[in-house]
Amino acid sequence: MAHQAHAYHMVDPSPWPLTGAIAALLMTSGLAIWFHFHSTVLMTLGLILLLLTMYQWWRDIIREGTFQGHHTPPVQKGLRYGMILFITSEVFFFLGFFWAFYHSSLAPTPELGGCWPPTGITPLDPFEVPLLNTAVLLASGVTVTWAHHSIMEGERKQAIQSLTLTILLGLYFTALQATEYYEAPFTIADGVYGSTFFVATGFHGLHVIIGSTFLAVCLLRQVQYHFTSEHHFGFEAAAWYWHFVDVVWLFLYVSIYWWGS
Amino acid sequence: CHPPGMRKPVSRTMFRAALQLSVSGARSLTRSRPQYTASVAARSYSHGKQETDEEFDARWVTYFSKPDIDAWELRKGMNTLIGYDLVPEPKILDAALRACRRLNDLASAIRILEAVKDKSGPHKEIYPYVLQELQPTLNELGIPTPEELGIDKA
Repeated sequence: MAHQAHAYHMVDPSPWPLTGAIAALLMTSGLAIWFHFHSTVLMTLGLILLLLTMYQWWRDIIREGTFQGHHTPPVQKGLRYGMILFITSEVFFFLGFFWAFYHSSLAPTPELGGCWPPTGITPLDPFEVPLLNTAVLLASGVTVTWAHHSIMEGERKQAIQSLTLTILLGLYFTALQATEYYEAPFTIADGVYGSTFFVATGFHGLHVIIGSTFLAVCLLRQVQYHFTSEHHFGFEAAAWYWHFVDVVWLFLYVSIYWWGS
Repeated sequence: CHPPGMRKPVSRTMFRAALQLSVSGARSLTRSRPQYTASVAARSYSHGKQETDEEFDARWVTYFSKPDIDAWELRKGMNTLIGYDLVPEPKILDAALRACRRLNDLASAIRILEAVKDKSGPHKEIYPYVLQELQPTLNELGIPTPEELGIDKA
């Protein structure tokens, strides 16, 4: 039987890129169908296909790495580069929304009364729930670091506890933010203030949910003994992503909630 | 007509000193400050060269006098200027009003006048004085005051 004479991973053919592309097509065209013909069938189909694609693709990666040993050091290095580049692209994504916010708030137009916050807008008090949210995410940054050290030191029970706590804090943030959204005296339709506020914090909230999900998958894997003290890149990637989410919040808090009030 | 007790040129000290509004209760202290070394606007560092009032004014007149100033820069400049702890000198406001003219922004021109009145706070004599100084410019550019439009009352 032939063996590969290198340490890299030549991945087996997979249907998931195709199903992912089809999902993207169905979701986008489904969106247009929803707008024009009031039917959500196509879009929902696309969403389901997307979820199935993600589940099976990442399941396969776990099989290839954890069970089949394909994630050698050079392969892991590539995965690290990949995650860092992805997070970098997300940084630029948020940079755009911060640009929009500062463009609008540093030079408010006459329609807003030439002032920021605009006339008629009562911003949220930055020292109430938003400050609590800041504390929650900062604490979750501590607990995820605790989890990392626990994994590296082979402390199984502590790793599970701290990772669980991290996820709970993430869920707490999401719940708090959801109530803030519900109770806010302004909406996304309230001028450029509403637009910048809800688009920036909304995408951030989505990333918190994504990050919490990623961490939850890591928790399941940790419980099932996937991670070793030396090799646990999936967890590291999740932790990097989580720190990124925390940093974005800090910028949001200082810029939009605090300075912008 | 001059407000009672004031002669042209009105001492800049009076305005600058009277308008260090941030230090409430220390007004007598600020009134006695010598004319050109008053701490100015943007920053009060503990060291480093301190910008004089004239330099401050000149900088802002230059800012608004840029021939191709764009609408964003005009609004940004006004917001920054109004954020300072002072009422801008008429010459700065004149340059800003002319920038509004170049940009066809009458709304902002009138808003500038409203901002002057607001920044004066309890010093009710400042706004009429500034309007008086700007009257030729207001006439030339055809800028009505909020009072003339009846929008000065809520």
